[in-house]
Amino acid sequence: MDKKYCAYICSGCGIGDALDVDGLVSMVGKEMAMDCKKHNFLCGDAGHKMIAADVETGVNTVVIGGCSQRVMTNEFNFGPQTITVRANLREQVIWSEMKPAEGKEPHKEAKAFLNETAADYMRMACTRAQKTELPEPYKPETMNKTIMVMGGGIAGLTAAKEAAASGYQVVLVEKENELGGKAAGWRKSFPSQYPWTGLEENPLAVMLADVQGKASIDIKTSTEVARIAGAPGAFRVSFKSAGSASEWDAPVKVGVDEQELINKGEKADPNAGLQPYTAVDPDAVTVGAVVLATGWKPASVDQYEHLGHGRIAKVVTNAEFEKIAKNGKVPAKVAFIQSPGGKENDEDFPYCNSVTSMVALKQAQYVCDDNVDGQAYILYQHMRTPGHMELFYKAVQQNDGVFMTKAAVTKVEENGDKVKVFAEDTLLGKELELDVDMVVLAAGMEPVTLHEHSINLAYRQGPAFLDLDLFDGYADSHFICFPYETRRTGIYTCGGVRKAETLEETIDDATGAALKAIQCLESTERGVAVHPRSGDATYPDFFFQRCTQCKRCTEECPFGALDDDERGTPLPNPTRCRRCGTCMGACPERIIGFKDYNIDLIGSMIKAIEVPEDDEDRLRIVVFVCENDAYPALDMSGMRRNGLSHMVRFIPVRCLGSVNMAWIRDALSAGMDGAMLLGCSYGDDYQCHFVKGSEIANKRMQNIGDTLSSLGLESERCASRQVSITDFDKIPAIINEFVDEIVGMGPNPFKGF
Amino acid sequence: MNVQPDLEFIRELKTAGGDTLKKCFQCATCSVACPLSTESKPFPRKEMIWASWGLKDQLVTDPDVFLCHQCGDCTEKCPRGAKPGETLGAIRAYAYQQFAWPKGLAKLTTSQKNLPILIGLPAVVILVMWILSALVPGTSGLHIPSVEAFAEHGYQQFFGDWSVMFKWYGKNIFFIALIMGVSALIAIISCWMGVTRMWKAMIANAEIVANYRPSLCQFVGRFLWPSLLETLQHKRFKECKTNSDRVSGHLPLVLAFIGLFLATCWSLIKNDILGLIWPSLHGPLAFFDPIKLIANVSAIAMLYGVWILWKNRRKMEAEGRASNTFYDWFLIWEIAAVGVTGLLAELLRWGGQPLLGYFVYYLHLVTVMMLFLYMPYTKFAHIVYRTVAMCFEKYRTSSFVR
Repeated sequence: MDKKYCAYICSGCGIGDALDVDGLVSMVGKEMAMDCKKHNFLCGDAGHKMIAADVETGVNTVVIGGCSQRVMTNEFNFGPQTITVRANLREQVIWSEMKPAEGKEPHKEAKAFLNETAADYMRMACTRAQKTELPEPYKPETMNKTIMVMGGGIAGLTAAKEAAASGYQVVLVEKENELGGKAAGWRKSFPSQYPWTGLEENPLAVMLADVQGKASIDIKTSTEVARIAGAPGAFRVSFKSAGSASEWDAPVKVGVDEQELINKGEKADPNAGLQPYTAVDPDAVTVGAVVLATGWKPASVDQYEHLGHGRIAKVVTNAEFEKIAKNGKVPAKVAFIQSPGGKENDEDFPYCNSVTSMVALKQAQYVCDDNVDGQAYILYQHMRTPGHMELFYKAVQQNDGVFMTKAAVTKVEENGDKVKVFAEDTLLGKELELDVDMVVLAAGMEPVTLHEHSINLAYRQGPAFLDLDLFDGYADSHFICFPYETRRTGIYTCGGVRKAETLEETIDDATGAALKAIQCLESTERGVAVHPRSGDATYPDFFFQRCTQCKRCTEECPFGALDDDERGTPLPNPTRCRRCGTCMGACPERIIGFKDYNIDLIGSMIKAIEVPEDDEDRLRIVVFVCENDAYPALDMSGMRRNGLSHMVRFIPVRCLGSVNMAWIRDALSAGMDGAMLLGCSYGDDYQCHFVKGSEIANKRMQNIGDTLSSLGLESERCASRQVSITDFDKIPAIINEFVDEIVGMGPNPFKGF
Repeated sequence: MNVQPDLEFIRELKTAGGDTLKKCFQCATCSVACPLSTESKPFPRKEMIWASWGLKDQLVTDPDVFLCHQCGDCTEKCPRGAKPGETLGAIRAYAYQQFAWPKGLAKLTTSQKNLPILIGLPAVVILVMWILSALVPGTSGLHIPSVEAFAEHGYQQFFGDWSVMFKWYGKNIFFIALIMGVSALIAIISCWMGVTRMWKAMIANAEIVANYRPSLCQFVGRFLWPSLLETLQHKRFKECKTNSDRVSGHLPLVLAFIGLFLATCWSLIKNDILGLIWPSLHGPLAFFDPIKLIANVSAIAMLYGVWILWKNRRKMEAEGRASNTFYDWFLIWEIAAVGVTGLLAELLRWGGQPLLGYFVYYLHLVTVMMLFLYMPYTKFAHIVYRTVAMCFEKYRTSSFVR
């Protein structure tokens, strides 16, 4: 594409008062060799018309100097064939100007500092405009839009029904020989409608009728998924009969060292008899996206010895009690124990969420329904009945025979044909002894992914979801921000495998997961990213001639998008990709890049920053800012007029994971005095949109710090910091303290080389 | 504590005004609102869970239950509509039954269905006595006096007169004393039985070991008198916020009862003791007699007080803050009936209407007898149980107890 450039600088919003806009216009003309125009209200009608008129006459690359790239996106959208680059002169220049301390005069060069900052942002924007190209979407050659639903319980049935109702073909796979899952064993279910008070008939039969006999739903019972290979739009699924072994079972990941040992015969091959993950099963069924609804397992409670499960026959779990209730009459005097911690801690059984509170209420109702003068004791540390379930709680509480108290259950003892329960710290102000016929423990709901791979992917990164320990075995990529998503594009979870939840929540959940799968199929077909960069038409391009097969991209991709080809070269699967650029940041050969975001582009932007020599008041520090949370936080800091040092230049990046250390070297060798990465927190409570980006970037920064030390540069010149989107008030301290540190170290000794 | 919930007890409380008790979710807002609550005794939060767990024995031996004025602050503030105040009322009603003697009579007073018997019993007794007075020597009571005789004697010859035969003791007073005295005696015995049972149960429940027994004088001086004084001053009652109106109804009522008690005593002494020596002292008190003034003021205070309480309860029920129970209304009706019939009888005497006057006086006797007879089992019992509970509360923390 032949580019025709024009830059525009807005003098509205106070930019004209704070900056020498005419000076900027002429700088752009001279240094960047671009036409540049000034307008006092660029986002207004007149401003928009001015640019649109230029676009009409052939301008196809527009540079806007004005407000942040996060605002006025529609006003500055000139169609899909026009590239628009923004320079953030408002939020990050004039609104972030450092104010003098109270009673102090402003720095005598304050005005000059501000204009220099603005000029650098214009230079960077113009450079970006010169380097960026229009994306061409990756459209898969073959596109299958069938949705496979794994698991035929409430979640799976709902997902299948909803996907079919939206016009998609569905394959519904169930391990057992009947559909229904856990719900088939429930005697009654929680209220799901007004007045939310009484137990309802199990809705399973109705749900089964919705699914069975539908032409668009192919039901496979007694069937398991041996492996899933391929990528969204073209997953290849190998089925097998339930419980059997197959050569197409997904192989586990074998590391390089491990493979050597296996080759030497010093270690047994864990994948003996299995097809390699790269093999293509000729009998595989092709599907486009997968909904994982493989459910949960009742947690074991045998480790709580004082509660006597496994030792005393009359102590059962809630799941076992439900079975008793389903098959007949429940005993007349029953104690429900919700929390196992005794006096030491008040935690409930693991994996209980709020469900076990409501199960206890439901089963207490059975006790009262089945027995005249039935007595149900609910001994809890917490009763959790969210939303309308509060009304259910109230209704059950009305039973004369339901007795509830907060209590620390210390002991359960066998007492003839009865069971004796001892509890302390009760609301009755006394220690309690209860003689009951049966004790029910509120065991939690463990997701199947806690114990097994469940998804069985034939990916290079292995058959299971990664880092499950971050979420106690749940397969989410981020529970709050990205519901239903897993760390494998095209695979969405719902039901008990995603969260310990009620039937009603499961139905909502499954509908959401089905819609998410549909979004994936449609985005994949159009060749754009599904999420979180929904609609992004770029994708990473690999210049394989220079690939050394180091596999860092393959290993570090948080989404397992890369496999190996037969020669051992990374094999990208663009439809699995989320466009975070972590591969680009990883590549030591710098051969991975996007059309509008690559090593050269950002490197050139860094080099476009003017670095004055021998001026202690004009050090230069580059900060790579994650676009997802840190950049908005920075804008918000500007909106609050928090002052930031004039020595800092911010460059937005897709994810800290995409920051290639070459850029840090570029910055320091260009004479800049420091570099910082500003992104999301990682670890247990990570907020990274791409799960691993900030964690990987932090590791890389530590490594580069060591390299700097060996060159005689202070390793502290490179830093990485974590913020969340709400941390805007912490931004000035983070930035300015770092600047002070750099000032303390003095200028980069290599300046001018 | 080995818990044995009494489901029957829960059901009884539910029918006696505590229908909301199971709603309590133990947030303790009531304990914050209640002036009786202390840090170690979250009242009535604790009583609410005892009630919903059917722990009958815990509740009827809990002095706090009897100290409650049912001011309604807790019910007003309760976020769950559990009406702790009403539940406590129901618990007290249950407790009176629990301690009562004779149980059969007590049981009778718990239901509106029994109202014909409750009214019929005294009505028949008095009617029979009236008829009987004809069989006893002396002027028969079985007559309607002439206007003149009515003006002179008022109701003092309702049961006739034998002043000729037994100058030292009036026939009328004989009958009145026979009816009311026996009724009062039953009530006193019943109350004594009740409070001793309660006292013993409370001692047992509080696991009190007495150092030494207080003498009667010590008991009265240290425990009873201060309790009575406190009642008279309505000191704690005034701490109620939501229903501060009830003090303005209850206080006149209490004072009216005291006033009427004094007037009745004086009338007894004057007519039936001094009257024997100085016959001129017989006959109704003059209008401007100071005692008569007290009596009339008291009668009006009584009607005023009961009217306030009546109004108050109606309003609370309309606003859903109180339950409509026979237990509460029976006492209000009864006191109102005593007051109305008494005052009306007096007005008819002044108006010289012997026939109507005698009929109303008859009704008045019936209501007064009901008041005496049912006092130990109905809401009226609070005057003894509450006082004893107040004594117990003082005793519990005194030096008599280790």
